[in-house]
Amino acid sequence: MVTREVVTPEGRGPGQGPRLLSAEGEYSYRSRLVARDERALAELVDLASPWLLGLVQGMLNDPDESEDVVVETFRVAWDRIQTVDSASRGLLPWLLEIARNRAIDRLRARRRRGRLGERLVALGSAGMATPPHVPDEAGRPGWHVHREVHQALTELPPEQRAAVQLAYFEGRTHSEIAERLEIPLGTVKTRLRLGLGRLRERLAALKDWVT
Amino acid sequence: MKAHDWFIEHRLDFVARALDPGDEDLFRDHMARCEECAAAVASAATDLRWLPMAAAPVTPRPGFSRRVMDEVVGPRKTVWSRWSWPLAAAAGIAAVLLGGLTFRQATQLAALRAERDSIVSVHRTELAAARDTLSLLQNAERVLTASIDMDGRRGGMLIFADETTHRWKVVVHGIPRAKDGMRYTFWFITGDGMVRGAVVECDETRPGVVMLDMPPGATLIRGGALTEEPMDGDPQVPRGKELAHLEL
Repeated sequence: MVTREVVTPEGRGPGQGPRLLSAEGEYSYRSRLVARDERALAELVDLASPWLLGLVQGMLNDPDESEDVVVETFRVAWDRIQTVDSASRGLLPWLLEIARNRAIDRLRARRRRGRLGERLVALGSAGMATPPHVPDEAGRPGWHVHREVHQALTELPPEQRAAVQLAYFEGRTHSEIAERLEIPLGTVKTRLRLGLGRLRERLAALKDWVT
Repeated sequence: MKAHDWFIEHRLDFVARALDPGDEDLFRDHMARCEECAAAVASAATDLRWLPMAAAPVTPRPGFSRRVMDEVVGPRKTVWSRWSWPLAAAAGIAAVLLGGLTFRQATQLAALRAERDSIVSVHRTELAAARDTLSLLQNAERVLTASIDMDGRRGGMLIFADETTHRWKVVVHGIPRAKDGMRYTFWFITGDGMVRGAVVECDETRPGVVMLDMPPGATLIRGGALTEEPMDGDPQVPRGKELAHLEL
């Protein structure tokens, strides 16, 4: 496995930055959040905000709205931490999932209102590409994960990567992707399924990295 | 193709949220009933859970963390703001109490000042009277005295006559309080008869002292007398019992 070449049994790749959250860190944060420890929330905000903003801003292309989504994400997390089993996927992936779903909801609401305008036109060509990779922030917590995922995405065939990008990071449905790429619906489904399947294989090993 | 195959085929699409809204709702409803699909979707979501990390991080704008904390858990209260209301309330209460206390003290102070002024006024009057008496006693050219026997007690009447100022100081002492309905009255004995001087109030322990100017229009003052007169009416001539009689 490719991931075995990068990730050591100790959980850190050679020469890589610090891990995002250790299992102990996850447990500690969750326990403190359940206990309504505001300091734990502040620490989590500092840790997770760059990744949440990066994801949401890439989807919405609107800094102000992206901040709103991230604030909303932390509010939902703070309210539901006691009732939701966030441990099953990890705390940060849980936050990312919330943020992504909220961003998709907003994107779809925009489309319904027909207010996409130039913003989404501008996104069109960028949507085909791999999410931008910032030169190097190896000291940033989670950078190693970002590099692994980014690498996995760039290794996909371009047509699969475009389908994943449009679906996963822009919240577009099969039909919308088909219309956008001017290809048959079945082809969209196939490309997306293949792309996600490869990513799943590639990224599954990462789940043992932090939990 | 069975209906369930459609759900199996679209599990990853559901995770990616690529299903059209109607299909997404359909899939969600199905998952609520199908443990197999629910578990498969959960597994796929777990495997892909780090996929959002493909996006490059964005450094939050200054103040963003504070905004999150403020909007999620409410504005953090500083030590001052946390205690500002209790302190303000305490200060308000203290101010009211202090104001009340000050007002009360001011009221008491005003009352005390009034009382002091009254006492000072009385004492000044008494002092002036004492000085006047002393002056009269010092300057009296004549001192007349007469004994009064009443109810087995012996008192008396003294007249200090100041010929310079033409004033008399009359002291009645050692006699009981006048009977009910009666009062002691001092009379000048003049060439034209008895002229009323003043009512004298006294008892065994407290002498009666009056300072008298000469009666206006009197041509010749020959002496004084003390009588016990009924309180009703305002007699111009003595009608009661004479207790003392002094001639110059």
